[in-house]
Amino acid sequence: MNDFLPQFIQQLFNGLSLGAIYALVAIGYTMVYGIIGMINFAHGEIYMIAAYIGLVTLSAIGTQSGLPVFVVIGAMLLVAVVLTGVYGYVVEQVAYKPLRSSPRLVALISAIGMSIFLQNWVALGQGARDMAVPSLLPGAFNFHMGDFEVFVPYTRILIIVVAVVLMAALTFYIRHSRMGRASRACSQDMQMANLLGIDTNKVVSFTFILGAVLAAVGGVLIALAIGKLNPYIGFVAGIKAFTAAVLGGIGSIPGAMLGGVLLGVAETMAAAYISSEYKDIVAFGLLVLILLFRPTGLLGKPEVEKV
Amino acid sequence: MKVPFRLNSMVVAFGLAGSMLAGAAQAQNIKIGVVIPATGPLTQYGDMVKEGVDTALEQINAAGGINGNKLEAVIVDDACEPKQGPVAANRVVNAKIHYVVGPVCSGAAIAAAPIYNNEGVVVVTPSATSPALTEGKNFTSVFRTIGRDDQQGPFAAKFIAQTVKPKKVAVLHDKQSYGQGIATAVRDTLKADGINVALFEGINAGDSDYSAVITKLKSAGVDFVYYGGYHPEMGLLLRQSAEQGLKVRIMGPEGVGNPEINAIAGPAVEGMLVTLPADFAGNPKNAAIVKAFKDKKRDPSGSFQMGSYTAVQVIADSIKAVGNDGTKVAKHLHTATFDTPLGKLAWDAKGDLKSYDFQVFNWHKDGSKSPASK
Repeated sequence: MNDFLPQFIQQLFNGLSLGAIYALVAIGYTMVYGIIGMINFAHGEIYMIAAYIGLVTLSAIGTQSGLPVFVVIGAMLLVAVVLTGVYGYVVEQVAYKPLRSSPRLVALISAIGMSIFLQNWVALGQGARDMAVPSLLPGAFNFHMGDFEVFVPYTRILIIVVAVVLMAALTFYIRHSRMGRASRACSQDMQMANLLGIDTNKVVSFTFILGAVLAAVGGVLIALAIGKLNPYIGFVAGIKAFTAAVLGGIGSIPGAMLGGVLLGVAETMAAAYISSEYKDIVAFGLLVLILLFRPTGLLGKPEVEKV
Repeated sequence: MKVPFRLNSMVVAFGLAGSMLAGAAQAQNIKIGVVIPATGPLTQYGDMVKEGVDTALEQINAAGGINGNKLEAVIVDDACEPKQGPVAANRVVNAKIHYVVGPVCSGAAIAAAPIYNNEGVVVVTPSATSPALTEGKNFTSVFRTIGRDDQQGPFAAKFIAQTVKPKKVAVLHDKQSYGQGIATAVRDTLKADGINVALFEGINAGDSDYSAVITKLKSAGVDFVYYGGYHPEMGLLLRQSAEQGLKVRIMGPEGVGNPEINAIAGPAVEGMLVTLPADFAGNPKNAAIVKAFKDKKRDPSGSFQMGSYTAVQVIADSIKAVGNDGTKVAKHLHTATFDTPLGKLAWDAKGDLKSYDFQVFNWHKDGSKSPASK
């Protein structure tokens, strides 16, 4: 095909925007795992709740409010981030904190229960059927390359830009802030950090809130870009993001980012050049392959048994 | 709750002794199970079926019911999920209900049909179109008031080949029994008519991002797309196609003909083609029924309302003719011809309609539709 290059660029954009969302959600999984060694299966639901909060905020403002689009999107993000942060905190306090000293499996079951509860909570409150989000940012950048016209919708650019900015900010924050240092200390050795005067409960709560906030941004952005939500979108998104976190090396924040983007691009390319019927097979095949050669994921550190 | 039960059976026993059975039977309602998705993403279809059933029941009961017995609807939710289908069927059987309108979706209907058939429950689905529901099953009590995919698919393909005349077609489907079945029928008929089908591919229902497959459609240079599936995915395909500047007409089966698609696809829905049951609401013969729908603010022109109305009507007519007995009603449905809002209906040995009218519509962004001639 003579239009190979422009088509490839188009698919790359498709994959990157998908991967950026995976990455935003994956960070929540990886941070919680890094600190308390537990998979928070309710994290996908947090993302779904954020998408709903964004939609409710949008309905409250109204699409004909006359406010600039970016103010509306900003308001949606702000409300979603704040409320979802509260959800993240409450989920941790209710479902995980009382189980902090129990075996990991117990907390895992609690997480699955929380996930089912949140799905049905939203299904009861908002109805189980699909809700539509009006498109706020219609249109796309388009340019010709040969005979093929490449379209990059504004919403997708927004996703990529916001994701990159947030990840850079997060990396900076974890490296240089007091709380970030405390988190890193906790992920190395919770008990030791506690002995050195770090309030580990605060760090764990902070981790859940931060994870929820990032998922919230992902949820609102995807609601804007896709325009359709139901209470079950969190499940698939959660599975994909968890996969991304494992792919990148669970516990590693840059790993989650890399894993998300890689998974998004791999899925898209598989759909593009093999068949969309096989895209999940290719994505998960990739996961198996990488774990065969690098059991700790791409950027994960080998787990040293502490004696 | 043991005591009231005993009391109850004692009362019945005394009733029997006093040979007051006739009086008791007369007051009894005849229950009709309405097996629909009352939860889940396809709830809208359940609502459509319920509107049709309710309208029919109100009319029949207002006219005195069947030989003095009122009809009563019992809603059973199967969420349109194949794994819930048998559960719903067991609930119907345990409740000693002999007649069912539904199940709505093919997947759930196929899973549940053997149970209904073995228990002699008469099932009339207004919406399940998969051939697999009846083909080669030798069921005696499963019927439908809608055409089969292998009637609808070729009908759609003929329309594409003779009216749209595209050069290169892509056929997509959602890998589920309804969508894939109909898409396969469309592809095969198009090929037989000499139309170039460049792409035949399944997508995942429930995904939110179809941009990869849309770019692929653009790359392949198709000028017409047929999608076999339901409205949530169709809505996203339309919206994301518009975002990527893919300017093709997209056509779907009646499963995409749902008002919610307007909200999901936005203005991109304009010009979508959809095969629906013919415009029964526009038929002057049905004016009285249409009025009964409209008086209750129900939509008689939706995809399944008239079919559901008809399902209740043929069950009621059969009970009236042969008595309240599932086996006899099933036999009656197989042999008699019924005058219904859908025209004269008769069923073959499999339980499929001998003939059924489809029509192609243009879908508009304000939610209305108009017959598509060109």
